[in-house]
Amino acid sequence: MMLSLLPQLIVSGISSGMLYALIALSMTVVYRATTVVNFGQGDMVSAGAYAVFVFGMGFGLPFLVAMALALALLFVAGFAMQRWLMQPIIAGPHLSLAMMALAVGYTLRGALRLEWGNETINLTRPYPQDVYMLGNVVITTDDVAICGFVLLLFAALFVLLQVTPLGKVIQATFQSQRGAALVGINVPAFHATMWGGGAALGAIGGVLLAMITPLTPDLGQWTLVQGFAAMTLGGFGSLGGAVAGGILLGLTEKLLGFYVNTMFIEITGYLVPILVLMLRPQGLFGRRAVVRV
Amino acid sequence: MRVWQAIVAFFAMALLTLPAAADSTQGITATTITIGSIGPFSGSASGFTPLNYGAAAYLRYINDQGGVNGRKFDVIFADSACNEAKGIAAAKKLIFEDKVFMIMSNPCSGVAMAIKPMLVQEGVPWMGASANPRITTPASPGMFHTVYPGSEAGRAMATFAMSKPGTTKIALAMHSDDWAHGYCDAASEYIKAHGGEIVATTVLEHGATDGTAQALQIKASGAQAVMGCLYQPELVVLLRDLEKYQINTVVVAALGADFDQVMAAFPSHDWVKQHFFQPYQFQAPIATGPLKKFHDIFVKYLTKDELPKNGDPTNFYYYGVPVAIVAVEAFRLAGPNPTRESWEKAVESLKGFDTGVLADTETFSADNHVGVHKMYAVGLDAQGKETVYKSWGVALPNSE
Repeated sequence: MMLSLLPQLIVSGISSGMLYALIALSMTVVYRATTVVNFGQGDMVSAGAYAVFVFGMGFGLPFLVAMALALALLFVAGFAMQRWLMQPIIAGPHLSLAMMALAVGYTLRGALRLEWGNETINLTRPYPQDVYMLGNVVITTDDVAICGFVLLLFAALFVLLQVTPLGKVIQATFQSQRGAALVGINVPAFHATMWGGGAALGAIGGVLLAMITPLTPDLGQWTLVQGFAAMTLGGFGSLGGAVAGGILLGLTEKLLGFYVNTMFIEITGYLVPILVLMLRPQGLFGRRAVVRV
Repeated sequence: MRVWQAIVAFFAMALLTLPAAADSTQGITATTITIGSIGPFSGSASGFTPLNYGAAAYLRYINDQGGVNGRKFDVIFADSACNEAKGIAAAKKLIFEDKVFMIMSNPCSGVAMAIKPMLVQEGVPWMGASANPRITTPASPGMFHTVYPGSEAGRAMATFAMSKPGTTKIALAMHSDDWAHGYCDAASEYIKAHGGEIVATTVLEHGATDGTAQALQIKASGAQAVMGCLYQPELVVLLRDLEKYQINTVVVAALGADFDQVMAAFPSHDWVKQHFFQPYQFQAPIATGPLKKFHDIFVKYLTKDELPKNGDPTNFYYYGVPVAIVAVEAFRLAGPNPTRESWEKAVESLKGFDTGVLADTETFSADNHVGVHKMYAVGLDAQGKETVYKSWGVALPNSE
């Protein structure tokens, strides 16, 4: 019985891991661009889901329209946050930047609680919830939708970064901001755009998460730990590493939770960074930092 | 010399600002009785605030009837955010600044346990809706449970699950905190004492977004029933995964979730029919029979912000009311010149008092400060209609 459930745990772990990967990727985009970890990213995740709820269930717009508007809104929010709150203190100590990000996140969460603090919301799926059997393995339309959507998104990002001229500009700026500035790239605008992109990616994660779990203002804060853990596991700043780290984290949670103890599910997100930082600080796919002297 | 003067002045100021012990008529004037209502008006547990609003609505209704012995109730809300430190600050403000007669409602066991020593020391009565049984058992002066502590609800959960013929294998799905143990420990004791067996104990922590490992452990254990000592979001996560894996078990959940809101998460009701139940505290389905009166009170006396944004007042509003009903009855019994002592004696004198809300009548004594014990169970019948059950398959008359 215990081993026969392994395929089910793997499928479920991959499905959860895809969500962690998306959230880790949204944080990595911001980190790669500005070397700042956005501690308010979890609340951007929640805000994205609430935006879809307001546009969709509040204004009665079709789901895809509501989602497009929510992504646009969160892009603007991320852009504005970097442009007007982070950029003015960008030369200051990292602690100030971290505190600013944290403060923005808490403010956002407080605002959400003011309006929806005493109720849980069930976001309506834009598709019927069906169950498919693959042998003994249960796969739902949620699993298919989450994995399919996230894979498509990763593929689109890969094409954007590797094939298009814009992607080459982004990659170049990731590698050397001073060099990018010298060839005429507006680096502050690039930073703000990446923060906007990160917020929009996080919002997608929030929407997908809210389709499978009740939406509360605190939903996003719990994902922040998983996002960090996935980033650390994959290697800080590595886009591919964030994806791999998220999926590995999802699998680890499920397997440890089922075969060892369900208490491990919550602490996996904390155990992983401890082990990775002790054994391989650069993560699975990160590069060891080299300082030329 | 100046240094000594400064030191003396400092200690004089400190003495002046020390809180004076509350006197036995604090909060009572010729025309008013001031009551403090602590609740999680902000924070992640703010879903419990209808417990505060339900009580407040009843006191506003009593005020409209002329009050008690010529006095009207003045309710002051204070936010604990379900956080012990904030709860202590809120209680201090209510006792020493607002000078309330008593503290009411107070969902959140952690806060209730944190403020209990201060309340007992100051002699300020507490009549709350927190689940932790240790607040009132053993009986502490002035501390009363007029609704069911977690231990009573936990026993009711186990009693109902085991009333299904042949049910002996039971799993626990719980948070690891004190609140969940309040329910699940009592349920476990009952199960073991009545020939049952705990076949699995699984943990879902706050914020869990997936319950696959837990659902599959329950499946592997062969549990016929699950005691769900979980808050609402995590309970819904577990139920969704039990449904997803088509695990044929009965889930009886603690009172950390609102039945109507849980049902809203399963619009088709397919799996939850005859699978999901909760202990039921009331005499009848909400907004029907004797509870219709309270629906009307909520709608009339609560503000737009205090009422649900969508739909009718839910279970938690009704569950908040008995606290106020018992408090008001004790003021009536205490006569025209109530003191804390006479009010507490009045509560302890209540025997078989029917609140018109709860499934059980309220009975207190000097040694017993928990008023109610008997509960029903609520779930959907085979047709998907909300039904109150005395035991498995036995519906309360006229409850369907």
